[in-house]
Amino acid sequence: MAKEMFLAGCSAAAYGAALARVEVISSFPIRPYTGIMMELSKLVANGELDAEFVHGEGEHAQVAIAYGAAAAGARAYTGSSGVGVTYAMECYSPASGGRLPCQMAIADRALDPPGDFGSEHTDVMSCRDQGWIMGWAETPQEILDNTIIYYRIGEDPRVLLPQFSCQDGYFVSHIPGKVVMPEQSQVDEFLPPYKHPHALDPTKPISHGPQIYPDQGPAINLQRAQAFLDTPAVIEEVIDDYNRIFGRDYSPFLEEYRTDDADFVFFIQGGHARTARYAVNHLREKGVKAGMVKLRFVRPFPTEAVAETLSKFKAVGCVENSTSYGGAMKGGNLIHEVRSALYDVDNPPAVTSFMAGLGGEVVSLDEFYSMAKVLAEAAKTGKVDQYVYWVNFDHGV
Amino acid sequence: MSKKKYCEKFSVPEHLQVPLGACIPAPVKEQRAMITGNWRTERPVIDHEKCNLCLNCFIFCPDSSWHLDEEEERMVWNADFCKGCLLCVAECDVDCLSVENELNFKGGVVRLDKPY
Repeated sequence: MAKEMFLAGCSAAAYGAALARVEVISSFPIRPYTGIMMELSKLVANGELDAEFVHGEGEHAQVAIAYGAAAAGARAYTGSSGVGVTYAMECYSPASGGRLPCQMAIADRALDPPGDFGSEHTDVMSCRDQGWIMGWAETPQEILDNTIIYYRIGEDPRVLLPQFSCQDGYFVSHIPGKVVMPEQSQVDEFLPPYKHPHALDPTKPISHGPQIYPDQGPAINLQRAQAFLDTPAVIEEVIDDYNRIFGRDYSPFLEEYRTDDADFVFFIQGGHARTARYAVNHLREKGVKAGMVKLRFVRPFPTEAVAETLSKFKAVGCVENSTSYGGAMKGGNLIHEVRSALYDVDNPPAVTSFMAGLGGEVVSLDEFYSMAKVLAEAAKTGKVDQYVYWVNFDHGV
Repeated sequence: MSKKKYCEKFSVPEHLQVPLGACIPAPVKEQRAMITGNWRTERPVIDHEKCNLCLNCFIFCPDSSWHLDEEEERMVWNADFCKGCLLCVAECDVDCLSVENELNFKGGVVRLDKPY
């Protein structure tokens, strides 16, 4: 029988990285992700993990170390939270443009001002267009599995892209849950050693990240865009493999919860999906046909799957945990993607969004019930009155 | 709407193709894939009669675009990589370097159809 442990998200991510046999780890402290590095430093110090543990002088250096290590042919791991994620912003595009598949663990934290330790997706959602694979975990189990899965996806020769493996700060990173530990031999079977086609080699000198001419700019960007077009098929293949080897039941892009005959669904990513499940259960007990669709990858965004799945419902409420100030839908980010994906669909559902849990506030069951009222009305009329509702505020719900 | 296939392939014409991640062979001496001489609008021109081979131009050139031909005993300028910063002109001890506009040369970079 597989070994089970009681782990918080941070520890689970660290064990995931250790099972993936990471070779270079670069750290810098910022809560809440620090727990990952604390756990990994222990594993390295105890001799349980053979890896170079390097302290960066900041997050910018951390990511530079990670993609430098990936260029040298090592499986590299780093991570951060909140303002640390945005401080390293410059390094994201060189890593993805250089096609260096390092991994960065994110435990979300709100951005300043004036300093808030709570969880909010805005930190890394601000980096979603930097060419990194990106997705959220809902439980410690999922973050452990994602850590291993993302390496396999990112290192696939058809992909070669770095990855953000994200979990909500505190709600996932600091609340323990049961984690079924994969066997090391199984992980080794699933995840072969990392090989980069252009790893640095003193006997065959090459330059990574050289200056290019403007006329090479479109071609190098298309190369990265093409990798993202090729990624969804790889994700499906890899998730199938993972489910088979480890006996899990992940869907590649969207997990549907009680969506049979649902009139409306919450569209959500990350840790708040746990509360949403209970809200759906309670609403169903009262005869309300509610459901939930959980997004597992926001980059690449599963356009086809979203169009196919969400077009089954009458109304969709995007539960937004990140901000897009002045954006087309005047609130969050997910609704932009969802509405775009549904544009070509016949009879699309009514789509609105709810700003919830910003700054690390809990999204309570009551708040989900309030959202449900708006969505039930939208399902009935086929229309939404507002693009965005700020829960608990005037003109909100 | 019909379900689209995942893998759309864009084709890139051969002359626009770039290596994966823009990785290129490391230069041994000169990186021919990155000519910078075309950034220049003015160039240093040497008067070999005045030059005393002090090597100041060689020392100060940020792009190693001056070197000493020991057999001929004269300084040689590299037109492909000199960006025209003219530091060498400022640093020359014997004023043997003068500044000339690229338009004055038949092969001056501003006259090329395709500058690289």
